[in-house]
Amino acid sequence: MAPPHNKRIKTLSVSRPFIYGNTAKKIGSIRPPNAPPEHTHIWKLFIKGLNNDDISYFIKKVVVKLHDTYPNPIRTLETPPFEITETGWGEFEINIKIYFIDSSNEKFLNFYHHLRLHPYKTPNQIASTEEASTATTTTENSNNATTKDEGKNDNSKKQDDDIVSSVIYDEIIFNEPNETFLNVLLSKPGNYLPSNSEEINEKNIVNGTIFSKQLESDEIDRINLRIDTVEKEINELKEKIKERLASK
Amino acid sequence: MSSSDIFDVLNIKKAKPQPATVEPSHSSSPRPPVTGIQRELYNLLGTNQPPIALSSKSNEQSRFKEKLQANGKVVPWTNAPFKPNDYVVLNHWIRGSSLNASNDNTKSTDKLEKLDHNKTEQELPPSKFKQFNVHPTLPEFTEIEYNDFMSDIILPSEISKADNKPNDEIITTNKDIKESGSGLEAGDNQKAESANEGSKTPNDSDKDHKAKNDTWTYEETLQLFHLCRQYDMKWFIIFDRYEDNGKTRTLEDLKSQFYKVSKAYFHKKDPKNPLLTSLDFRKDKEIERKNYLQRLLARSAAEIAEEEALIIESRKFEVAAKRTLNEREALLRLLDSPHSEQSVSRYLTSQGMSQLYTSLLSDKSRKRKHPSSNSIPENPWMKQQQQFAQQRQQLQQQHHQQQQQQLQQRIQQQENEQKSQNIKQELSVKPNDSIPSIPSTSKKTKKQKQEEQQAQKKKSESARLEQLLSKFSEEERTALGVIVHEKKLNAGVYLRSTRIPSFKPALQNKVNLMMQELGLPMRPTMVTKRVMERQEHLLKQIANLADLKKHYDKLEAEVEVRK
Repeated sequence: MAPPHNKRIKTLSVSRPFIYGNTAKKIGSIRPPNAPPEHTHIWKLFIKGLNNDDISYFIKKVVVKLHDTYPNPIRTLETPPFEITETGWGEFEINIKIYFIDSSNEKFLNFYHHLRLHPYKTPNQIASTEEASTATTTTENSNNATTKDEGKNDNSKKQDDDIVSSVIYDEIIFNEPNETFLNVLLSKPGNYLPSNSEEINEKNIVNGTIFSKQLESDEIDRINLRIDTVEKEINELKEKIKERLASK
Repeated sequence: MSSSDIFDVLNIKKAKPQPATVEPSHSSSPRPPVTGIQRELYNLLGTNQPPIALSSKSNEQSRFKEKLQANGKVVPWTNAPFKPNDYVVLNHWIRGSSLNASNDNTKSTDKLEKLDHNKTEQELPPSKFKQFNVHPTLPEFTEIEYNDFMSDIILPSEISKADNKPNDEIITTNKDIKESGSGLEAGDNQKAESANEGSKTPNDSDKDHKAKNDTWTYEETLQLFHLCRQYDMKWFIIFDRYEDNGKTRTLEDLKSQFYKVSKAYFHKKDPKNPLLTSLDFRKDKEIERKNYLQRLLARSAAEIAEEEALIIESRKFEVAAKRTLNEREALLRLLDSPHSEQSVSRYLTSQGMSQLYTSLLSDKSRKRKHPSSNSIPENPWMKQQQQFAQQRQQLQQQHHQQQQQQLQQRIQQQENEQKSQNIKQELSVKPNDSIPSIPSTSKKTKKQKQEEQQAQKKKSESARLEQLLSKFSEEERTALGVIVHEKKLNAGVYLRSTRIPSFKPALQNKVNLMMQELGLPMRPTMVTKRVMERQEHLLKQIANLADLKKHYDKLEAEVEVRK
C-alpha cells in the first residue's frame, strides 16, 4: 500500500484558473539582431495566473512546441514567468504542455494555442469566425460595452499601437489529488476571482484581470437567457407532438 | 538393412513361432511387389507384423472386400401368374417357391393360354396383394329408385327427355361393365336405356342445350356412377372418359351431380345419418378456387417479382412505423423524466463507462430491494465508532485538564474522578443504545453489507476530507477552488474547457447552428464551474430540442402520407 500522503483523496477536486495567450506586434524600426529577414512580427506567448498570480508553486515546467521551421522548436520553460518571445511571419498552433510538480503525481496537461498575429479588420465585421461574431454580442450585453471585442475566448483586437492579443481563460482541474499535492494547492487561494472586472485595456487583458466574477455572472445570465428560449421551444414542440399524437 | 540384421547385431535368436510367420507371408504372397521406401519399411518390420497391414489403397480395397458367401442355398425365383382382378391374369416373379410349385405354375401358365378365363381363375390362388386392391363401394340404384329419391330433393329429372345418340364408347363401357361382373344390374339397366336412347331422335335445338346441361338424365347419372366405380373416384380420369353426348359438362358438374345424387340416395336411406353433411359439394366454391389457382399459376415472372417486392416494401413500412412509434414514446418518456445535470464527458472513457455500468447495476438492484427508500442505510457500527472517537477525545481533553489541574491543584482530583466516572457511565450506557439496531444488520443481505462497507469507507473518507478542510470556511474553499463531489471522480488533471459536452456529428452540427443563432460561442469565455454547468444544461436542452424537432418532422410527414 502506498504511503498515506500519496493516497488520492476521493471525491475532491481542486480548480486553478489561469490564462494563456499571446501578444504580437509588428517589427518596427528596431529589429532584433538575430531575426531572419522574412519575419514580420514579434510575439510573446505566456502562461500565467490571473492577475499575475504565481502559479509556479504547482507547475514545474512548461514545454512549448513551436512550428517545425523554428530552430529548436521544443522550448522548455523551467521557471516563471512562463513566457517565450519570438519573431515570425505566420500564425500556427502552438503545442503547450504543462508539467506539474513531482509530488503531484499527475500527468502533464496538453493543449494548443493558436498564435494570433493579425488583427481582425474591424470589430463589428463578422469576418473570420463564429467566435468573432459572438464576441461582439458578448460585449454588447456586458456592462463594459465597448466597440472592442474583448472578454471573449479569443481576445483579438487591433489597437493604435498595433498590439494584437489573444488571451484565453481556462481552469486546470485536479480531480482527486493526493494529499501532499492538495496541501500544496491549499497553500494559496488560487481560485480567487476578482469580483469586478477592471477596465478593458490591453494591459488588463494580458494580466487577466478582466476575468472576474462579474464577467462570470454576466455569462451565466446570458446562457440562462438562452436556456429559457430553448426550453420554451421545447415545451411548444412537446405540446404540438402531443396534439398530433392525440389527433391521430 | 532388415530386421534380421538387427537381430544378428543384438545377438537375438530368430523368433520361434516360425509357422506363424509363414502363414501371413503365405496369405500376403499374392500382393504386388513393394518398392522404394515402403519396401525398406517392410524390411524393418521383420517378424513383428502389425495387425493392420501397411499397403497401398488399391491393395487395401481388394484385401478388405467381403468374400462371397457361397455356402447359402440358392433361392429359386419363379415367374408365377396372379389374378389382380376377376378378368385378367398376369405374371410376376416370386422368390423362393418350391420346384414343384413352380412347375405347377408353369404348367398352369402353359395351360392358361389354352384354357378359358374362368378355369384359370379358379385354379389360381388369390394374390397376396389383393387385400390392398380396395374399391369404394358406391350406391347402386334402379331408375325407379333414382326418380324416387331425387324427387324428394329436387324437381323430378326428365328421364324421358331425348338424349344424343349413344356412340361406340358407351357401348364399350357397357361391355366392360358386363365383363367385370360387378354392377350387373346397373349394366343391364344402362343397356336398356341406351337402347331407348337409340330410338330417340338425336336432333336437339340450341335453346334446350343450356337447360340440358343442368339437367341430368338417369342414364347419364348411371354412366357417371359407373365411371366412378371403374376409376376409383379418380375425377380427372372420369372427366376424361365421360361421354357427354353433346352436353358440355365440366369436372365440377360431374362432381356436383355425383355428390347430389349420393346425398339424395343416403338421405332416403337414413335421413339422420350424421355423415350426410360430408357429401355437401359447393360447386361455385370449387370453381372459384380453381379460378384462383389458375390466376395464381398464370402470373408472369415480372408479376411475381413485383408482388414479392411489394410484400417486402410493406414489411419495411410496418417495421419502420413500429420503430418510429417506439422512438417517439421513448422520447416523450425521456422528456417527462427529470434531467441529469451532470456532464456526460466523464463517462466517455472506458474507465468511466465501467464506473457508470457498475453504478447503474447497483442502482437497479437497490431499486428492486428498496423501492421506497433511496438512501443508503446508516451503519450502526460507524455511529458507534464515532461515538467512541468522541469519547476518546473527551477523555484526552480531560486528561489534559487533569494534568493541568494536577499541576495547579491536586485537591480537585476527586472531581475529575467523578467526571471520568461519568464518562464510564456514558460508555456503559451507549453500547446499550446501539444494541437494538444490531440484529437488523445481521438480517441484511450481502449486497446491503457491501453497500454499508462502501458507505462506511465513504464516510471515513469524507471524515478525513472534513478534517483536511476543516480549517477553511466555505468562502475560503471557493477561493481555493476546492470542491467536494458526491461521487467518485476520475483521478487526473484536465482543462475545464475540454469537458464541454459533445454530440454525434450530425447532432453536433445542429447544436452548433443553434448556438450560432442564439449568439453564443461553443466555448464560454469564463470556463468556471458555474458557467460550465449552465452551458452543459443549455447544450443538453438544445440537443433535446433538435431531437424533438426531428420527431415532429417525422410525424408531420407521416400525417401527410396518410392524407
